[in-house]
Amino acid sequence: MTTGKGKETNPITWLEKYGDTLYRFARARVRDSFTAEDLVQETLLAAYRSRKKFSGRSTLKTWLIGILRHKIVDYYRKQKPEQGEENPDDFVYGSGNMFDAKEKWKVKPGDWGKDPENEYERKELMTMIHACLDEMPKKMSLAYTLRELQGVSTDELCELFQTRKNNCWVILYRARMLLRRCLEINWFQGPK
Amino acid sequence: MRHWIFSCKKISLLISESMDRKLPLYRRLGIKLHLMMCYLCRRYKKQLLFIHSILQTERTIDEIDSASLSPEAREKIKKRLEQEKQ
Repeated sequence: MTTGKGKETNPITWLEKYGDTLYRFARARVRDSFTAEDLVQETLLAAYRSRKKFSGRSTLKTWLIGILRHKIVDYYRKQKPEQGEENPDDFVYGSGNMFDAKEKWKVKPGDWGKDPENEYERKELMTMIHACLDEMPKKMSLAYTLRELQGVSTDELCELFQTRKNNCWVILYRARMLLRRCLEINWFQGPK
Repeated sequence: MRHWIFSCKKISLLISESMDRKLPLYRRLGIKLHLMMCYLCRRYKKQLLFIHSILQTERTIDEIDSASLSPEAREKIKKRLEQEKQ
């Protein structure tokens, strides 16, 4: 079956061959390069320690990425912030203040015009999205980042936050409300 | 307001929720009905989907981006792995 390349067990070779791939994968999911580098190291170490478990059913690359994914989830789990530290409804554009007593829009969603077309504009918008996420309550931006950037399933997310499903959806909802409004104010309407 | 007609606030939650799980039929119909009558919620939905799509492209762009491990980091990891091998 798999001999030679497929059964390569020298972690230095893994680093040479897949180091950048792993790094890029991590970098897209955590926001600083140092954390991403640490995650790559941890992944290769863990992979080396459990090299006997690699069955050859998947490719080495997917196996390594699978381990990395777990490392990223662990990383976020360790970061789990204190419960109930901030109340999102206290935020100026939190969902609590967006609707009137009849539950109709009080702060009406504006017309955002055309979508950004070129690469440069998208990059700028991405920077703004990150800035908006930084302003949010930690738990919320964390949940949102995991869901939208890492593509973690809602089930896994609820597990991470050890919370009821209902609550998970509400956390994501509030994050989306805050982000939407933050972008509306800071990106689509000015500051001119 | 009758109970099966959802308010804008409720719709805003349901639209977000529908991005995370498949909603039961009567809720999907409730959303559809509401969206036919409410341009603000239509806008809201479009905007959420737009933000979502931006983040999705970010994911793919990042993965094929030319970012790579710095030589220093590479060296550091290499040393650590060599330690481990002994």
